[in-house]
Amino acid sequence: MNISIGQYVPGESIFHRSDPRTKLTMTFAYMVIVLLINNFVGYAIAMFFLILAIVSSRVGIRMVLRSLRPIVFLIIFTVILNIFLYQGETLLLSIGFIDIYKEGILFSIQMILRILLLVAGASLLTYTTTSIMLTDGLERIMSPLSVIGFPAHDIAMMISIALRFIPTFAEETERIMRAQASRGADFDSKKLREKIRSFIPVLVPLFIGAFRRATDLATAMEARCYRGGKNRTRYRVLQFSKADIVLTSFFIVFGVLVILSRIFF
Amino acid sequence: MRNKVMYITTAAMIAAIYTALTLAGVGFAYGSVQFRFSEALSILPVFTPAAIPGLTIGCVIANLIGPYGIADVVLGSIATLLSALFAYATRNIRVWKLPLLAPLGAVVFNAFIVSAIIFFFTPEDVAYFISVIWIGLGQLASCYGLGIPLFYILDKSKLFDRFNGYTH
Repeated sequence: MNISIGQYVPGESIFHRSDPRTKLTMTFAYMVIVLLINNFVGYAIAMFFLILAIVSSRVGIRMVLRSLRPIVFLIIFTVILNIFLYQGETLLLSIGFIDIYKEGILFSIQMILRILLLVAGASLLTYTTTSIMLTDGLERIMSPLSVIGFPAHDIAMMISIALRFIPTFAEETERIMRAQASRGADFDSKKLREKIRSFIPVLVPLFIGAFRRATDLATAMEARCYRGGKNRTRYRVLQFSKADIVLTSFFIVFGVLVILSRIFF
Repeated sequence: MRNKVMYITTAAMIAAIYTALTLAGVGFAYGSVQFRFSEALSILPVFTPAAIPGLTIGCVIANLIGPYGIADVVLGSIATLLSALFAYATRNIRVWKLPLLAPLGAVVFNAFIVSAIIFFFTPEDVAYFISVIWIGLGQLASCYGLGIPLFYILDKSKLFDRFNGYTH
């Protein structure tokens, strides 16, 4: 089982050096801005900035393309639906009850661009930030909410423990599946009913192992005087740097240009 | 403190199992035609409230790794959070000693909310409703087909009772 959690690509680029809080905020803002684009000038601007970002992040165009592979189905699905169902004005082709309009094709192209921009842009966040940094950043962004009783620290703690244990459980799942297969379980059955039946004997040992681990870990944490987030100091302290200022300025230019393209085109 | 630490570690383990199982079923687990084995875990809030943050976090991580980006992370996780809360709220409503109402949230919320992602990319309501039906069917299979047997076995083995001293 090949699982790359976080998909982090080590590097020293401006994206790697900037603070996870900056990158998280920017990714969310980027999503909103991309959804605001409504014409080809806007898409051209976004494409330009995305390529600029990919090049300066030095993760390599190949990695970004790899993040797009799983969405090929979604893209095809979208294109087919849009082309066949869109009711436009300029009829290009009519086969039986299917009418294909020029507007439908243009709309499909816009949607493909939108999906590409969203997925490729978001992948940069996970490619340039380790999952630990991401969790730290999330905790800091959520921490103002703890005033109203939101357990920001607890949630960040759960995320980091979960991230640590995903590979463990992935391995354990595989091991249990092999053990059950050696006892005659059939995981390759085409029938859904059979599949479900063979899966229950995998889940139960997985849970028992998980609970044992949860108890052990709780004991270990308490033995080391874990008392929640209060007064806890950190090994790595997050700090904004020059990289954050440069990234943010580029991002603001991008945002303003997109909004202008919406007004003027 | 023991209770709180136990709550955190239990939730984290549930999140890790959810993510690991989602990734193991990759290829099927994302998109408008999805069948997530891990959704069987949506029955867990019946046993412990730690499953509510556990499942939500598991879904966040699984969707972060998945191909749909932030839209899936936000919407998918909201759907999971609502389903988990629903399962927890209806945990004591039993039919033939089984919590038959509890997995319903996971079917309905996911079908309607996750399909909204498709909505960003297509102009027609048709696509939305096709997706509602497909995701709903997938969820029905994993939440009921796998979730209810899982409940039956976990309930019979009294696995959670042994740990409940800590997690409540």
